[in-house]
Amino acid sequence: MSRRRALDGVRVVDFSWVRAGPWATRWLGALGAEVIKIEWPENERGRLPSTTTPQGLEVNLNTSGNFNDTNVNKKSLCLNVRSAMGLEIAKRLIAISDIVIENFSSRVLQKWGLSYAEQCKVKPDIVYVSMSGYGHTGRNHSYTTFGPIAQAVSGLAFISGLPDKPPAGWGWSYMDDTGGMYGAMCALTGLYHRNMTGQGQHIDQAQMVSGVPLNGPALLDHAVNGRGSRRTGFPPGNRAHWPGTPLVNNYRGPTAAPHNAYRTDPGDYNDWCVIVCQSDAEWQRLVEVMGAPSWATAPKFATLSGRLRFQEELDARIEAWSMTLGKYELTERCQSAGVRALPLQSAEDRVERDLQLRHRQMYLPIEHPALGNRQVQNAPFKLSLTPAFNHLPSPLIGQHTREIVEGLLGYTLGELRRGFADGTFWPTARARFPYLDEMLK
Amino acid sequence: MTDAQIQPGPLAGLRVLELADEKGQYCGKLLGDLGADVIKIEPPGGEATRRVGPFLDDIPHQDRSLSFWYYNTSKRGVTLNLRIEDGRQLFRRLAARADVILETFPPGHLASLDLAYAALCAQNPRLIMCSLTPFGQTGPWRDYLSSDLLHMAAGGEMASCGYDEADAPGAPPIAPGGGNAWHMGGHFAYIAIMAALVHRTVTGEGQYIDASIHEACALTTEAAIANYIYRGETLLRQTGRHHAPAPTPRTQFRSKDGAYVTALVAGRLNPKYVKELAALLDSQGMPHDLHDPKYQDPAAIAANTSHIIDDLVANFIASLPAEAVYHAAQARGFTWGAVRVPEQLLQDAHLHDRGFWKWVKHPELGRSFIYPGEAAIYNGSPWRISRRAPLIGEHNTEIFCDELGLSRAELSMLAESIAL
Repeated sequence: MSRRRALDGVRVVDFSWVRAGPWATRWLGALGAEVIKIEWPENERGRLPSTTTPQGLEVNLNTSGNFNDTNVNKKSLCLNVRSAMGLEIAKRLIAISDIVIENFSSRVLQKWGLSYAEQCKVKPDIVYVSMSGYGHTGRNHSYTTFGPIAQAVSGLAFISGLPDKPPAGWGWSYMDDTGGMYGAMCALTGLYHRNMTGQGQHIDQAQMVSGVPLNGPALLDHAVNGRGSRRTGFPPGNRAHWPGTPLVNNYRGPTAAPHNAYRTDPGDYNDWCVIVCQSDAEWQRLVEVMGAPSWATAPKFATLSGRLRFQEELDARIEAWSMTLGKYELTERCQSAGVRALPLQSAEDRVERDLQLRHRQMYLPIEHPALGNRQVQNAPFKLSLTPAFNHLPSPLIGQHTREIVEGLLGYTLGELRRGFADGTFWPTARARFPYLDEMLK
Repeated sequence: MTDAQIQPGPLAGLRVLELADEKGQYCGKLLGDLGADVIKIEPPGGEATRRVGPFLDDIPHQDRSLSFWYYNTSKRGVTLNLRIEDGRQLFRRLAARADVILETFPPGHLASLDLAYAALCAQNPRLIMCSLTPFGQTGPWRDYLSSDLLHMAAGGEMASCGYDEADAPGAPPIAPGGGNAWHMGGHFAYIAIMAALVHRTVTGEGQYIDASIHEACALTTEAAIANYIYRGETLLRQTGRHHAPAPTPRTQFRSKDGAYVTALVAGRLNPKYVKELAALLDSQGMPHDLHDPKYQDPAAIAANTSHIIDDLVANFIASLPAEAVYHAAQARGFTWGAVRVPEQLLQDAHLHDRGFWKWVKHPELGRSFIYPGEAAIYNGSPWRISRRAPLIGEHNTEIFCDELGLSRAELSMLAESIAL
């Protein structure tokens, strides 16, 4: 590759697994860092269990589709860090790297003999990012999370849903995605600081804690005004305000109506659009798009206070209209008239029908040895000099063990073979993939 | 600790100009809280985000918006009218000594004012400029209007969130609240800016970044895209738990105090887990049949999944307050959690141990308020809120006179001509 990238020359030792950590390092890789993923098949989590292996392919360590998307731009080193040679190799790798990143629970790296202090002995300016559930300090540091737990405990799940119903929460691990963002943000911030000052540091990121700042206005409303979230009409579903409840801002921007999801033609599971009018002028434009029906020109809907007061009728009337149109046609009609509307999009919609994402090349294919030529997700930003791009498919497990151990660290082929024989590079009792046998020739 | 003893943040020495509304103010806050000198440039009269409630004591005022307060900590504030040439000239002077410009105007707006990146970069080649906009600078949707709700729909968030039909018949897909589309965009923009800054430490070059909130949202649905690409699956919305191609057992249970607990049980049930679950229920005096030897057979567990989850776990959680279940379960290694309302976090002892909550002084009010703090503890260069959000034009004199060298007379003239 001749294209320059922002993190050219940066090396990352990546002990991360499951989702949040790998999602962080994926972006460091896309930005040009050499990311070396250290993993071990006996306690691997991320490749298995797989619910995204294509129909007809055997479910194994190399066939998870979601793992592929989450781990592009990385190399895989299979290493038993709990062996003497494994620990030595990990340290030799850290000694020639810039960033160490992991998302184990809070004491794991310490127990392996790879605490920040140990890392500093071999690389004094290392940037060490730990991404645990609750952080490395604080009384609950040993508690564990998955995304849904971080979302529940941090208050994020509660703010999603309809009034007087259980929380709808988040239908995926938002805090794995977002935890990954914070992991990458910490790594880059630490790297910048190191480049400017020569000082490395340990950055203690915590998944549960990272969810809390995402509720800032609600927290200030309580701290400043004493207003609690367990109140009538909150959370207000997709609305800015739930009709018939006390009028108060509900932390999604200005209070507005209409502000809701509406069914569209042909009425299938994902046939919905959303429409928001943030001013009387926007509402009047929507009225025109709807063909200025007599109900919509009634004075009671001409003002925001009227539209809020009669929101149930307003929403029912709008939906009667929206159901006559497909969600993309409705979007086009509204947006070309200056009305805020967009389709609700499933994954299939985003990949197949979203012309904007297509134009921006959000999903470009990359060839994977076991999964074939598959679209993976690209960066949502375009850097003019050093664009991020996906240049490697996710690694097969242990695919780069020889390249790293022999090529990068200078061990001999004989030492590599001995490491395979004694369980340093692959569990002795576990069948090897053919490419691992090839590696030893 | 006195100010002199406080270590500088990791971005100390960096100068950022922020021309941002709700789309970019969080990214600017992150840069500021991490030590950058962020100058928020607002139009005369203030940014529209100052009009977003709730307000201090529910008294609406542009210096009392709690939303604005939260998203604009650690920034200084000036007003500047970019529609007037005097205003643009001042902006160019600020840009000449800035490291980063973060802007969220509609595509083409700055170019129409002759303030495009190319022009600003000509006088300051180290300048990094990030345009963070709803759809990016190109493409058929680039001029579309948006909002948080719109992004959550088109980005795919809503397709994954909602209710089991039994819990809320006919319920629509749900967009989680809190303005998270802006967070998603802000996180990725921050990453892009930091990558450009790291690159600049090596080569000295600035560059332009075109960041899209729609793309950021479309990237933030975990495995949904993979479920489609690799298996062609469409996912169902389920109450309080993951989307799935087919219905899965519930994970959210009502507790004795009327709150909820998220207990991830299905998919983890094996003989070891059942033993641990038995011990957890025993520890709270909850009767159960999990000591029955049949549960050492995975087939028997599978046959009794509904009994274990919908009877035993549900009844156990129903017998205790949510916080009690949460701590008892976590203490025994269960990855369970209480579904809390945000303000419960103010009492969370763990967050207090981590020094998470920050008192922020509002000197003009003679009061201090407690703010949420940092996602991560930077042990070598701390995150901190260096000041409350700026009042409108609070630093006009400091920045335009003390730093750029305008006289007070010039400042007054500019204010009269609405250049400020």
